[in-house]
Amino acid sequence: MKRRLNQEPERTEINVSPLIDLVFILLIFFIVATSFVNEVGITPKHKDTASSSSNLEEPLSFDLPASGQLLQDGMVIGLEQVAPLVRSNSSDKAPSVVVRVSPGARAGLATQVMDQAMLAGAQAVKLSPLAQ
Amino acid sequence: MRRRNRSIENTEADAINVSPLIDVVFILLIFFIVSATFVTLPGIEVTRPQAVTGKALEKNAVIFALSGENEIKYAGSTVQLDEIPGLVEQASKDRGKPVVIQVDQWADASVLAKIVAQARKKSTDVSIATRKPRA
Repeated sequence: MKRRLNQEPERTEINVSPLIDLVFILLIFFIVATSFVNEVGITPKHKDTASSSSNLEEPLSFDLPASGQLLQDGMVIGLEQVAPLVRSNSSDKAPSVVVRVSPGARAGLATQVMDQAMLAGAQAVKLSPLAQ
Repeated sequence: MRRRNRSIENTEADAINVSPLIDVVFILLIFFIVSATFVTLPGIEVTRPQAVTGKALEKNAVIFALSGENEIKYAGSTVQLDEIPGLVEQASKDRGKPVVIQVDQWADASVLAKIVAQARKKSTDVSIATRKPRA
């Protein structure tokens, strides 16, 4: 460490300050850019119509007219009746459910019907628009 | 001897050893690079419908939003229904990304059904974003 008559060259070190600056900027960029999107949701699965062997039986269908009601087989039912209906139908196997929506029906209600049907163990839930 | 020498020659600035700092910062940097997914957000906030069976969805998804005024939003702009398959294919780049639809609970359900049908042309995994009901 002691300099001998100032003749021995001092050990030169690489200046790392610009490197740290750069790395910090990159770090902050990636921290900011990382979007922690934690989305919960339902995935209504339905078999494609090409493999319709299991779809031969009539699916349980719910109708959502523009009036905001929920119909099953022409009768007005409440949202809490969806799950029992799906369960009572699933005596032999998990049923498939079709939610037929008319223009003007609320997406919130359609989602809740699908949610209730999946809660009751429906195998395939399909959302299909009803032209009117 | 040495100590005395130092006290004499203390005019030389003692640099802090920054090597451990650089190590830690590099590890953080690599973590954030690896975990970065760069999701394109639709640009509007919607009131999601409540659902009890909602499960955590894949983070790296193609996200569409359907506003309460029945406008389909993707990456901050309004898109038309028939543009959806192209956008899904473009965003997914043969990696088969799932599609998430953020739907407003007051939106039109038939538009939602059409979006799901359009997205299903290009992706096998189409989900509807919901929120947990308050317990």
